[in-house]
Amino acid sequence: MSVTTKLTKGMFYAKGLRAGKLDGFERLIAAIYGRPDRVPVILQPYTYAMAMHGLSSDIFFREPEPFINASANMANYFGVDFWSPVFDFYNIELDALGQKLIWRDSSEPDVDTSAPLIAGHASLNHLRPPVPGKSGRMPYVLDAYKRYMELMGLPPMCYCCSPFTMAVLVRGYVNLLRDMRDDPRFVHRLMEFLSMEVVVPWIDKMVEVTDASIVVMSDAWASAPNMTTAMIREYCLPYVQKVIKATNSSMRTVLDSGSWGEKDVKEPREILDIKMDMMAGNAFKALRPFFLLVWNEDYEVVGIDRVRKYADEKKVCLMLNVRPNLLEEGPTEAITRMVKGMIREGAGKGRLVMLINLAPVGTPVENVHTAVAAIKQFGKYPLRPDYEEIAFEPPQALDWPTWREREGLPV
Amino acid sequence: MADWKKVLKDAVAKGDEDVAEDAAQRGINEGIPAIEMLQDGAVAGIYEAGALWQAGDYFLPDVILAAEAFNLAMKHLEPMITGVDAQPKARVVLGSVAGDAHDLGKNIVTALLRSARYEVIDLGVDVPTEKWVESVRDLKPAVLGMGAYMTTTMRNMADVLKALQAAGTRDRVKVIIGGAAVTDDYAKQIGADGYADNAMDAVSLVDGLLGAA
Repeated sequence: MSVTTKLTKGMFYAKGLRAGKLDGFERLIAAIYGRPDRVPVILQPYTYAMAMHGLSSDIFFREPEPFINASANMANYFGVDFWSPVFDFYNIELDALGQKLIWRDSSEPDVDTSAPLIAGHASLNHLRPPVPGKSGRMPYVLDAYKRYMELMGLPPMCYCCSPFTMAVLVRGYVNLLRDMRDDPRFVHRLMEFLSMEVVVPWIDKMVEVTDASIVVMSDAWASAPNMTTAMIREYCLPYVQKVIKATNSSMRTVLDSGSWGEKDVKEPREILDIKMDMMAGNAFKALRPFFLLVWNEDYEVVGIDRVRKYADEKKVCLMLNVRPNLLEEGPTEAITRMVKGMIREGAGKGRLVMLINLAPVGTPVENVHTAVAAIKQFGKYPLRPDYEEIAFEPPQALDWPTWREREGLPV
Repeated sequence: MADWKKVLKDAVAKGDEDVAEDAAQRGINEGIPAIEMLQDGAVAGIYEAGALWQAGDYFLPDVILAAEAFNLAMKHLEPMITGVDAQPKARVVLGSVAGDAHDLGKNIVTALLRSARYEVIDLGVDVPTEKWVESVRDLKPAVLGMGAYMTTTMRNMADVLKALQAAGTRDRVKVIIGGAAVTDDYAKQIGADGYADNAMDAVSLVDGLLGAA
């Protein structure tokens, strides 16, 4: 079945026109636009996949096939609806620009903040934009996407670093704060360069290779309390919207997933509004697969009911992650309780996606199996009147070494 | 004559580094005792920034720049403080664990501990396990503070504790942890002596562990 047919099936299902059962991708599409058969669960395998396959970071974050095969194995082992090929997406453009990274055997590479690429304002004049698809580890990303498409028969959701977070990382956080205070014109010049000469060409290249219909800019630094909402509105949003305008099309949605901070401002709506604005700029707004991602640190403080109401008001899908520490520490009863509560409060009349964004290395597989099974069990629409009485037993899954030997892709 | 203590206090609270540095130097030049410039100026300023943060009126950038301004003022004031006033309460060694390059939280903790008259030795970021062990052996701190900001690096805290145990020096030092990735439960799980959720709490935690409040 073609991607377009699957998209159409999912969208029709969401609106009540139901033709047959949904597969995982169709369920995700149905959840974005309305009510699926049950709440879908997405996994970002990331460093958990790396550790479970005994791979070094040098292999996982440099070699496309082991990275994708290991990630696919985790998604298949846990039986999630959809998974994203998540690499260290904050670093790719930075690496390509020449920013020094710290590499360690068992964790993702990270920017060396003690050596920012733009140490002084003059450095910006000498900075050359990457050659899209060729500089640094960009070929690794493109080849990984190709491998993903071979396996899945679908284009991936493409990821890149947003210009604002990139600015913080190449300039250094404290330096950028000083620039905002002392020389705002420099910050705008930096943002213009990163947006139009780094991010836009990279998105164009990723889309040329994958024909992706969703591109997500990740923006950890555009968060409270790291930045004030005024800073985000002045230095981040205009450039996000500029990138979106330069790269979206009738078949391609580009958005900034925003970050966190609802709990760190006096009025959480300020951050939620910013997240909505980070998707603005795409034409035909009503048809776009927009989602409002709220992290556990925030929804546990401000309340799922509050963000659910906001998502309903804006007619967007709500995406909630499962708290990584809970996933790691368990016990399975606590994970079940948490998932049950999240779905009770967040399921609404549809438009809810659950995300396992991070299983910390060392997380027992039983805990992840439990989270996935609980989402599948409790997330069936419509929620049952006797929801509180639904019995749940943690699943008895095949152990990981046996599963991997029998069904895993070679890594 | 300008009230340099007040100028310094306001400059630190507002994170105005140039003014803070200038005020600290001018206050000294005009004969104001360095300890007064420290307590009534720099320390008062950083505590004001902390109070505004706790009230939700300041964001992280405000506190970070206040800490930077405090540290710059300290460069001028510290060498001028002598005698009893120069005696720190205790020595604290801080850093971010191996693989972790994040240092913002650590830098704020450093400034606040210094403002509370602790001698702070900052090992920096990405500090390997051996260096932590060496620092306890050679620098003999009363407190060792480790930061981890990623779930993939927080495990290195447990390695440091095991290495201290193996070196026979674990009992000589109180170990505290902090950072976005860790929790109070994790501190207990790995056998640390304490966990602080934020920089203000870190000072109270150290005071409490050393009975130095």
